[in-house]
Amino acid sequence: MSKIITNNLSLWYGGFQALKKINLAFQEKRITSIIGPSGCGKSTLLRVFNRMNDLIDGVRIEGEVLIDSADILDGDFSDLVKLRKKVGMVFQRPNPFPLSVYENIIFGLKVHHLVEKSEREQIVRESLESVMLWNDLKDKLHRNALGLSLEQKQRLCIARAIAVEPDILLMDEPCSALDPQATLKIEGLMQRLKNDYTIVIVTHNMQQAARASDDAGFMLLGELIEFDRTVEMFTAPKDKRTEDYITGRYG
Amino acid sequence: MKLRLLKEFIIEKLIFLSGIASILFVILIFTFLLKEGISFFKEIGLKDFIGGKYWYPISEPERFGILPLILGSLLVTLGAIIIAVPLSIACAFYISEVVQGKAKDILKSGIEMLAAIPSVVLGFIGIVTLVPWMKKVLNLPTGLTALSGSIMLGLMAMPTIISISEDAINAVPKAYKEGALALGATRWQAMYRVVIYAALPGIIAASMLGIGRVIGETMAVMMLSGNAAVIPSTLLEPVRTLTATIAAEMGEAVHGGLHYYSLFAIGIILFVITFMINVIADIFLHRNKK
Repeated sequence: MSKIITNNLSLWYGGFQALKKINLAFQEKRITSIIGPSGCGKSTLLRVFNRMNDLIDGVRIEGEVLIDSADILDGDFSDLVKLRKKVGMVFQRPNPFPLSVYENIIFGLKVHHLVEKSEREQIVRESLESVMLWNDLKDKLHRNALGLSLEQKQRLCIARAIAVEPDILLMDEPCSALDPQATLKIEGLMQRLKNDYTIVIVTHNMQQAARASDDAGFMLLGELIEFDRTVEMFTAPKDKRTEDYITGRYG
Repeated sequence: MKLRLLKEFIIEKLIFLSGIASILFVILIFTFLLKEGISFFKEIGLKDFIGGKYWYPISEPERFGILPLILGSLLVTLGAIIIAVPLSIACAFYISEVVQGKAKDILKSGIEMLAAIPSVVLGFIGIVTLVPWMKKVLNLPTGLTALSGSIMLGLMAMPTIISISEDAINAVPKAYKEGALALGATRWQAMYRVVIYAALPGIIAASMLGIGRVIGETMAVMMLSGNAAVIPSTLLEPVRTLTATIAAEMGEAVHGGLHYYSLFAIGIILFVITFMINVIADIFLHRNKK
């Protein structure tokens, strides 16, 4: 079943068109990667799905983006809060808040008034367990999160995102600040998480896309060139430009 | 070649000199203060000086207790902090997070203008507007009270607090705000649940510097707070501050007399207080940079 569908999605930053009539369908409970060279619009596309582009002045969007068949582009503010509860995001650089580990995780719960105070501890534990941090941090819950290692920080950010039980996780190059070892661990984590979440990951690391995703899209200069099963795309790309990119001829 | 080396040498030394000049001045000022004040402490013990309840420097026998002056300074400062700090923080958030474009520039330069108004002018404006108004509205025997001084001093501390707090808020990484918004927080929630914590050391440092300015301020507070050297019990009574005492009495004190030296001793106390506040502010500013 398609979780996210875009119909003729175009986006402009002022006069610059960053996305050109994108038509896509992301499947539920799978990992979809979007690859492409820098500036191809892949992060912009990702940020359409939780409407983070709203923060930038002069952004204009046309077309449709359906999440669970509802168009997220026409909606007032309270819908935006709901949308972001449903669509979690993990950023390129781990950005835990300058608060304790515990406060980081319950941030979303507080914002959305989700659970009673008594249930918070349980959720903190579950969230940390699902990112395999519980054993490391169970005695350090009230330490400042800025003191963690980079990999732990990124895991914490994932835990923070899933604490509010979203449907979709957007990951914007989640491993580019991490070393290869930590990258593999985060990828392993993604495989576990896809049982519960629909994951969209933007990456410029082709090996990562090939290893970790089920479906893949290739973007170039704001256009979606090809979208297919990852295996298909990396073994038999249909478009010459895709082939050039994944064989390393540019990008 | 040799000439160039000599030039380098001279420039280097000149820069070095200007660099240490400020430290040198502080040390010189403090030694001068100490030198003048120390003979006073020989006559009257530190304990009697700070703990004494009566300041009658020219009566017979003279009494040199600065407790009412210290309490006066503290009361006025406390009032000024309560007025200035919340307003300034709100203003800093407004400037850095809410207002945009031309209005932002106007606001910022307006605040800088506020800092440029001489304190005697502020005091004068206070005397003709604030003081009578206070007297009427609160139905007091006099409008020259600690509260009047606090309000004006709060106003004077605001530019410092606002501009340094605003820098601190601006320096908060965008990633924090984005992260909060991406979790569904509203702009307001992102501000008071995340951004303020990240900016807190800077905001505290800003407040400390503002307080330092308030404690050291003389002119406006002398004009507005009534100058009665008695231990105050409320904000609505006249008080006298350490600074106002020095300014008001230095001209009349007999040069070389005990009264004269007592004013230097007050200067030392004042110096120590502002120095400590600056050190605390520095610690927080430093922590912010890390």
